[in-house]
Amino acid sequence: MDFEFRFDIVWNNFPLLLEGIETTIVLSLLTMVLGTIIGLFVAIIRLRVRRIFAVPLIIYVEVFRGTPGLIQIVWIYYCLPIVTGLQLDALTSLVIAMALNVGAYLSEVFRAGIQAVDKGHIEAATALGYRPAQITRRVVVPQAAYRMIPAIGNVFVSAIKLSSLCSVLGMAELMYQGQIIIANFFRPIEVFTVVAMIYLLMAYTTSLFMMYLEWKLAWIKREDMTLWQRFKHISHASFSLKPQGDV
Amino acid sequence: MNQAAIEIKGLHKSFGSLDVLKGIDLTVKTGEVICLIGSSGSGKSTLLRCINQLTVQEKGTILVNGENIGPANDENSRDKKLSNAEIARQRSRVGFVFQQFNLWPHRTVLGNVMDALLVVKKMDRAQAKEIAIARLEEVGLADWSEEYPSTLSGGQQQRVAIARMLAMEPDVMLFDEPTSALDPERVAEVIDVMKLLAKKGHTMIIATHEMNFARDTADRVIFIDEGVIVEEAPAREFFTAPKTDRLKSFLNRLSV
Repeated sequence: MDFEFRFDIVWNNFPLLLEGIETTIVLSLLTMVLGTIIGLFVAIIRLRVRRIFAVPLIIYVEVFRGTPGLIQIVWIYYCLPIVTGLQLDALTSLVIAMALNVGAYLSEVFRAGIQAVDKGHIEAATALGYRPAQITRRVVVPQAAYRMIPAIGNVFVSAIKLSSLCSVLGMAELMYQGQIIIANFFRPIEVFTVVAMIYLLMAYTTSLFMMYLEWKLAWIKREDMTLWQRFKHISHASFSLKPQGDV
Repeated sequence: MNQAAIEIKGLHKSFGSLDVLKGIDLTVKTGEVICLIGSSGSGKSTLLRCINQLTVQEKGTILVNGENIGPANDENSRDKKLSNAEIARQRSRVGFVFQQFNLWPHRTVLGNVMDALLVVKKMDRAQAKEIAIARLEEVGLADWSEEYPSTLSGGQQQRVAIARMLAMEPDVMLFDEPTSALDPERVAEVIDVMKLLAKKGHTMIIATHEMNFARDTADRVIFIDEGVIVEEAPAREFFTAPKTDRLKSFLNRLSV
């Protein structure tokens, strides 16, 4: 093995990657916000209307979950202007494509979260004289929001990685910038390694933020439990699924 | 004491092809305590749920303190469809205690009891808290007001649920098998609370399998079987001298 790692090439061109990071963050954040709005809208409509009227929404969700993200992005980038006659700039059409993808996944997260609220809790409020909107606000949303956080985190982390596909269409985000460096210096291993670590960092930051939200929204907060202790608690919980003691 | 708190005439309800209520007529006087007994699936719960419109009947009228509840479809009905706000207002006058307590897990005991005062009665926080604490004292749980329901035993949770209903000062109180989900040693604490409420002169209808409670507390006991009222009598008479064979065999099965 006389291969020599040349990470200095990556460090020397780091300003290029920084520009890419900025674009990736903008793409991802816009996608998350718009995707959340679409997801909420679709989930609520699906729960409110008769099944027949929900069919177009079901088709939307299944199409965007069941086809490759790359094709969705390419298709909307090239075909949306042809079909609708709208001339959109690259950023807008890419965000729309990704938000539609993310919204499809999120709508299922929201729908499941809302439906998981115990019917009895809703009946209790009904019996006390709450109106439907008051039940949503006081009973359904506080419980559903807390329970949905981990699943929303999953989708958000996926959205960050999904944005790497925009490189195919020449959007100068992180992956694209990495490929430029590779094209100039022929060092794919080193560049991809660093790019992957940057994605990991962004994904993990998102995870931490979601963990914070989960802690913030939890109704039973032990006052001696700081965020760090909460973090350790969660890490421990993932291991404690194994049977303990005599089984 | 003579005014009718609840007047039910010709109540029918079916779920699909299953007829659950087949013509119930029942009048409950103000301050009267009624126990509904009957085997599972006899229609006890459905009858109670209709009175609070958690289930909507197909036929028949229900009056609570003279006011028509839900859709009226007799000939002299004021047949307008009630708005959500109207139905909600009517429900707030009728208290309901569930078999499964149905406390909200994301609110404290105090939060559970005072929330309806804030949301439905639009009280300010201080006033609502004062009332909620008083009702919790009544069920013996004022010390638990800052706890979350998940840390309470079943009996305590049911007492909180009763306090939550009491806080709304309903005209009538409906209990749907309030002790059926409890461990046997937790039944008594809930029964004691209900006895206390009965003594205070509240109008109550209680679906229950606790025959001793029914005998001791109820003014009248009603036996429902297959969606009809088979027999009704003052409590003593009901258990000592059952008239119909259906009730006799039901009481024999329970060996009371």
